[in-house]
Amino acid sequence: MKSLFLLVASCWLLVTVLFGCGPSYPKEKFKESIVRLCKDEYKLDIKVETVGKTIAIYLPLPDLIDFTFAITKQASEKINDVILSVSRVALSTDAKFDFYCIIAHDIRIPEIQIVIIKSVDDVKRFLLNDISRGEYSKRMLIDIRLNPQSQKERAIKEVFEKMAIDKKWQERVMNDFFRAEPAVLGDIGYWNGRFYIKNISLAEFLAEQIVNRIRIEFREDKELLDAFLVKSTKGFYISKDSRHYFRFEVEAEPKSFNQLEASEATNRIFQTVLKVVYQVIHGYKFEDFDYIEIVNQTNGRTSKFLRDNLKNFKPKRTKIEDIMEFDTY
Amino acid sequence: MLPRKFKMYFKMYWVRIVIIFVIIGVCILAVWGLASLESFYRNITLATMPINLIMVALNATIFVFMYITFMQGGLAKVSKSTIKGQNVNVKWSDVIGMENVKEEAREVVQLIRDRARVKKIGGKILRGILMIGPPGCGKTYLAKAIATETGLPFLSMSGSEFVEIFVGVGASRVRRLFKKARELAYGYGGCIVFIDELDAIARKRVFSVFGGTEETNSTQNQLLAEMDGLQEAIGRSGEPLTEQNIIVIGATNAPEENLDKALLRPGRFDRKLYIDLPTLEDREKLFEYYLAKVQRDPSIDIGRLARKAVYKTPADIENIVKEAALIATRDKGDVIKHKDISEAMERVELGLKHKLHMSPLEKEKTACHEAGHLIVLYILHPTEDVFKASIIPRRGTLGVVHHQPREEVFTFDRQRLLADIKVGIAGYVAEKLKFGTTSSGVAMDFKQAMTIAHNMVWKYGMNDAGLLGDYTIIPESQLSDKVKETLNEETNKIFVKSLKEVEDLLNKEKPLLDRFVKELLEKEELDYDDIDAIFKEYGKFPMKSA
Repeated sequence: MKSLFLLVASCWLLVTVLFGCGPSYPKEKFKESIVRLCKDEYKLDIKVETVGKTIAIYLPLPDLIDFTFAITKQASEKINDVILSVSRVALSTDAKFDFYCIIAHDIRIPEIQIVIIKSVDDVKRFLLNDISRGEYSKRMLIDIRLNPQSQKERAIKEVFEKMAIDKKWQERVMNDFFRAEPAVLGDIGYWNGRFYIKNISLAEFLAEQIVNRIRIEFREDKELLDAFLVKSTKGFYISKDSRHYFRFEVEAEPKSFNQLEASEATNRIFQTVLKVVYQVIHGYKFEDFDYIEIVNQTNGRTSKFLRDNLKNFKPKRTKIEDIMEFDTY
Repeated sequence: MLPRKFKMYFKMYWVRIVIIFVIIGVCILAVWGLASLESFYRNITLATMPINLIMVALNATIFVFMYITFMQGGLAKVSKSTIKGQNVNVKWSDVIGMENVKEEAREVVQLIRDRARVKKIGGKILRGILMIGPPGCGKTYLAKAIATETGLPFLSMSGSEFVEIFVGVGASRVRRLFKKARELAYGYGGCIVFIDELDAIARKRVFSVFGGTEETNSTQNQLLAEMDGLQEAIGRSGEPLTEQNIIVIGATNAPEENLDKALLRPGRFDRKLYIDLPTLEDREKLFEYYLAKVQRDPSIDIGRLARKAVYKTPADIENIVKEAALIATRDKGDVIKHKDISEAMERVELGLKHKLHMSPLEKEKTACHEAGHLIVLYILHPTEDVFKASIIPRRGTLGVVHHQPREEVFTFDRQRLLADIKVGIAGYVAEKLKFGTTSSGVAMDFKQAMTIAHNMVWKYGMNDAGLLGDYTIIPESQLSDKVKETLNEETNKIFVKSLKEVEDLLNKEKPLLDRFVKELLEKEELDYDDIDAIFKEYGKFPMKSA
């Protein structure tokens, strides 16, 4: 009885371990797998392209936005289906991918696009309950905008028209000089049958994510919403002279302004930015930077915070003066 | 036979078989399910499997603990162990002595084997064997030997295992036991059910309006029903099934008359095997057997040990040898010597010695008391031999004269009864003779002596007044004062006459008495050899039985 049990148990373990060895979607058939999955399970026609460790998926939709320029329910469901398909394949393949971005177009207005960028690692952590649903959604970059390439090409075409350049030459010049890989995440898109994508790095993904989170913070915190009017937020990851740092530019005007409150207001902005930066950097255990630079565009004040000082940062208790490296105007 | 065994196994273990198939099915489904998962989810499942298994094991352990603690594994659980006859491995040769019983048991085995032949000639098939005898005489051993010789599976349970406070539990256990026996009998062609201490469930049933004995009654009723059921099992469709070859062997040390008559009637316990205490020859064999297992001095006289161990059961003899081995080890001996066995017997018989501080006078009185017993026993008792005299306190007595019958005696004649009375009162006479006064130490002696004298007159008709019969069974209120007076006078006459004889003897043997007192005070203990030598020195010999 005991030996029979042992035999059954060991056979079962052996089989399960053997089954657990191979990937469901081998890297050789990676793109086809995503395309087939979307086609077979959701009847969606998509295009897939990869650059480095980034996957790009183009999803043309007939009804992406309605007359209020909001995403329609059907489009939202289809985008979610594609996200699910890509996640499944990205997680069950032996190909190494860090990011994927989904570019959805409305075929009626191809200039408008939605770009969703996700980290594969975030999906994995979410599925393993390592991060909450709220945190997971904050880690996703969603952007609805006019296609940058279409804007660029329209402007250049106007120039070509003015210069009366031959159509054949127009196309050649366009291909040679104006259809290059995008430099920043904001330029990612799909235009005229061609992907404009780049190999996304974790640093630039984090910079963009921090910017998004700062916007959310200023929008959702009642006190901040009452105190400031945020005009713009930008974030960059800069590598210069063997130095690596994040630079965040915030243009937030105090709603009730007087001279006494000016420095306090800036401190408040910096404190908020720093809190978000700390959360994100800490959440990803990212250490490939030397310092953080925060610029208040309203008064030009720039402050610098070293990585080591940031380690001891406590969002509610630490005063920024204590960890600030220097302050310039 | 093979398909029958398969069917038997299926009948017996169908729950296990179903569970095994379900487990295998679930395992296959699990592997199938895993195979259908994408590798990421499969890896998650496999990665979490060990912790899930630990959690399941932990939950199962807690559940089982709670179940055992609160439910005791189900009230009707039967902790019976099945042993195949061959595996019991107790052969006839291992059953020492009791040749008569063995002969009967062999006949029983033959009947079990030749069941078909017995049926063919229309004979009654044996269904139950009842072994009656004192504890420790080898009833269980004999039952095992029967199982080995027949080669049938052996189910063993104690009668007390059926007894529960809850009504119906015992009956349920009986049903389960016989169900299992029937299954085994189906596969192996027969089964032996051995119920030890049968008296726990086989006492005479009491039909009380208060229902206090309901549980015992229902257990016994179930046993009766099951034993009847062995004769003819009825199938579901009502047709009689093949008779089940199940033999129930019961063992008890309770007197036969205490058992319920329904159990003893033919068709239930058909055969009764009376297992008695071992004879002199059996005791010799038993000593040989147990001493062969230990390192012993070859000069040990086994015949003498056997003579000394009258009325000892095989279990007692085994215990004596074990105790002797302990004593030899304590004394740093390499082998067991005669004195170790002798000491072990005393320890088993008389109990452990214990230190008690006595004044010299009290010690002398004790020595005198025991010397009185000793002399009267040696000179006047027809059937007993004295083995030891001691003034070392044991089991609440200050001294003891250890004596044993020379051989098994099953009836008591007048001479022996009178001798017992004389030995009993000899302590009193010796104290009175030597000190002119007596002590409370005579109380137990008087009680025993008076009881014997009373029984002689009242029960056994051993009186000179011509009053024959057992007067103790007549209620005292129905006896005339004259009869009672006469009987009491006769009792007293025996007592007084015995007292006179003992006084005469001890007066006559005063030097011998003084010598034994002196010896006992000096040595505290005298063994058979010392005692015999002193008596021979004074030209005294033991009385031989008439």
